[in-house]
Amino acid sequence: MRVLAHPKTAARLALVASAAALALTCATAAAAPVSIALCATAGSITLPGGGNVPIWGFGVPATPGDCTTATASLPGPQLVVTAGDTVTIAVTNALPAGHTISFEIPGVSFVPGPTEAAVGNTVTRTFTASAGTYLYQSGGDAGRQQAMGLYGALIVRPSTAGQAYDTAASAYDVEAVLLLSQIDPNFNAAPDTFDMKSYLATYWLIDGKAFPETAPIAASAGQRVLLRYVNAGYDNTSMMLLGMHERVLARDARLLNNPFDANAETIPAGATEDAIATVPAGSPPSANGYALYNRQLHVSNGAASPGGMLTFITP
Amino acid sequence: MTQRTRRLGLVVALAAGSPLLGAGRGHALPPGAPKIGMVCTPGAVTGTTHTFNLVTMAGHISTPDGNDVLMWSYANADPPDDGAFQFPGPVLCVTQGETVVVNLRNTLPEPSSIVFPGQEGVSSIGGSPGLLASEAAPNGTVAYTFAASSPGTYVYESGSNIAKQLEMGLHGALVVRPSLGANYAYDATTQFDPSREYLNLVSELDPDLHHAVETGATYDFTKLRNRYFTVNGRAFPDTIQDNGSALLPSQPYGALVRIQPNDAGTNPLPALIRMINAGALNHPYHPHGNHLRQIAQDGRLLRDPAGTSSASTERFGETIGSGQTQDYLLRWDDQDHWNPNGPPVQRLLPQPNYRSLVFKNGVTWYGGNPYLGYKGTLPTGTASLNVCGEWYFPWHSHALNEFTNFDEGFGGMATLLRVDPPGGCFTFPTSTRILVGTLNGGTVANLGLDDAKYYKVNSATTGNPRVTDWYGQFSGVPAGAANLAVTYEGNDSLGATPQTLFIWAWTANAWDQISFVPNVGTTDLTVTSATIASPASYIGRGANNGLVRVRVLTTHTGTASFVTSGDLMKLVYDAP
Repeated sequence: MRVLAHPKTAARLALVASAAALALTCATAAAAPVSIALCATAGSITLPGGGNVPIWGFGVPATPGDCTTATASLPGPQLVVTAGDTVTIAVTNALPAGHTISFEIPGVSFVPGPTEAAVGNTVTRTFTASAGTYLYQSGGDAGRQQAMGLYGALIVRPSTAGQAYDTAASAYDVEAVLLLSQIDPNFNAAPDTFDMKSYLATYWLIDGKAFPETAPIAASAGQRVLLRYVNAGYDNTSMMLLGMHERVLARDARLLNNPFDANAETIPAGATEDAIATVPAGSPPSANGYALYNRQLHVSNGAASPGGMLTFITP
Repeated sequence: MTQRTRRLGLVVALAAGSPLLGAGRGHALPPGAPKIGMVCTPGAVTGTTHTFNLVTMAGHISTPDGNDVLMWSYANADPPDDGAFQFPGPVLCVTQGETVVVNLRNTLPEPSSIVFPGQEGVSSIGGSPGLLASEAAPNGTVAYTFAASSPGTYVYESGSNIAKQLEMGLHGALVVRPSLGANYAYDATTQFDPSREYLNLVSELDPDLHHAVETGATYDFTKLRNRYFTVNGRAFPDTIQDNGSALLPSQPYGALVRIQPNDAGTNPLPALIRMINAGALNHPYHPHGNHLRQIAQDGRLLRDPAGTSSASTERFGETIGSGQTQDYLLRWDDQDHWNPNGPPVQRLLPQPNYRSLVFKNGVTWYGGNPYLGYKGTLPTGTASLNVCGEWYFPWHSHALNEFTNFDEGFGGMATLLRVDPPGGCFTFPTSTRILVGTLNGGTVANLGLDDAKYYKVNSATTGNPRVTDWYGQFSGVPAGAANLAVTYEGNDSLGATPQTLFIWAWTANAWDQISFVPNVGTTDLTVTSATIASPASYIGRGANNGLVRVRVLTTHTGTASFVTSGDLMKLVYDAP
């Protein structure tokens, strides 16, 4: 079934650098075959407050299939396609020896085929895209690969621009992808041998960044902010939004029959949610704007606070 | 172990009337505050402005295992509290449309503040800019103002150094009542019985982190290990103590939920349960006994997209996320109305397994009888906390490690739902005495059932008028029982027989009349007294503890003898 070769469409891939994450956008006017090449490879990131930790992450190879031309990022590149696209993702495994990857996008129905790739091999998965917010990840090594950073967001846009889904209620003015995850540096230092019973995350991240490095979401009064929550972490995460409510429209890339308003919404581990918050008139709760933060008090970097999962909608 | 037993010793001393009783002053409650149910701190209303004066301060709470834990909390600077420490903070109740002003004075050693999640347009006066909100410096002040535009259940909490100050306890409940009326939660579909409005504010804490603050040691939130899990600032079983209990001077809010079976005629409205998770963990809260209907989250009704009909759902377990609020309507239905005098299939109801019923140290809430409103016998050595056969159901965190006090179960994040019998507790006579007349037949047991089996008394055979005069004696009526009322059903063998009911006033040593019927006849007539004023006068104390006597005096002019046949004598009361 691997009918779509990378080179055919590779030229249509455009790398777009955004404030939130590296974004890989495939803008198509109509449903079309789209090919995406990824590498799973080792790398490192700088922790808030300094210090590098090793990670395993996804990266886009400059030359498809040649992972020496890819750099691992945490989270992986943001994949953006259009509903109806036939999407083929080829993931080449360039992890250290012995770590077979298993590529997954919960909520997506792949064309049957191999699910795993040993080091040096490529796993290719094809699916027809349906609008929504998704998490992609590698489920290998019993969760250790996710804990090391092998995850990212997949955004499937509907054919109508400016909407999250094919409903007018999902129209928005500003879009923010909030990929939630965390790091225990002690685990990252020894991913093969670490005793997971002592796993204790001490860095809590939005799109791989902790406050004060998190990207603020600029939106003025009256604007509708689409918050695409993607929980790539292990913890059911409750995010407090001060000064306004958000309308939760969809969970796991499916519209809710009864959307509801929340200001402290829990996004389960592995789940996604789409919510729209309309910025009210008047002054925000603080000069920094409307805070959006982890109400479970994971707002520290190590023992230093404030930090962690905290950002602001800034009018 | 010394810590564990200390509290127990205090309880014994209190029960013995030791001078310690004066030392444990309960937290002052506002005038008219209920013993059970949500207590609002009044604040001051001027026009449409509702002002509260709060103080951040440090103080200690106690846990059921005898520990004391340092907390930071909000206190009410105004009467009746006058700045007395309490945990959690005062329940601020306002009405939709009011302008709310909260003045904060900070007595903590670091800047502090309040955020009002779910409120829009909160502005501040004074203080200095903080990360999430304006802050009051140590010994400083700041004021917050907002329009209470949307009814609902909300939390207010610190917006400063939250990884420390929220763990330390700086939170409280904010209730915005709709302009529609205080007996509605939101819109017209959310009417509830205002005497049954409950708050369950859940939280948890790690005493080691609190100890670090108390001793000036390093505070490291990544070392968090929660040991105590609370509802309204108390851990079970303290949660079922009354509001303002003297045993818990800095934890004024009980969490017992009390209800009677729903009845379309006499008890049609549901109770309202306001839930808030002020803790840092998501808690799976699990109410036993009946489903609860979730009507709102975060101060917003659950509705269909058109906003025209409810999207509420019934739950017996729901995770309440950190920082979330949820509102539930609760009605309790007695589906089958089984009773020990019903058809044989109902009478055969077995006793539950006694081994499942004991809470700790031989103590149970079970009344010894599986039927609602009836008591029975329990194994020797078992102490029952049951008043009149009411039922108890635990509501608790189903993360069962949170159903503990320092790993010791049961305890922690739990309270009880108490289901009283319809109309209240009821009881039947346990003995009789004939003052005038002679026994014709039957026993006191015949006064416990409306079954045309009678307790019969012959009138005197001399005199004019002829008289029967006897009383039934009830036992085990708790001191503090309220809303006493008597039902008597019976007949006389002659028609048009005047009948007077009395109740014995123990201290006055006299019978007080509670009803008069001029014409009881040969078919059963049911008489229910009005609610009896000053019920304490009629419940025996000391050697006569718990005794209540109801007298039936029947007279018939003339010299014809007659028989008085009592079918049912029942005392109904509201247990304390």
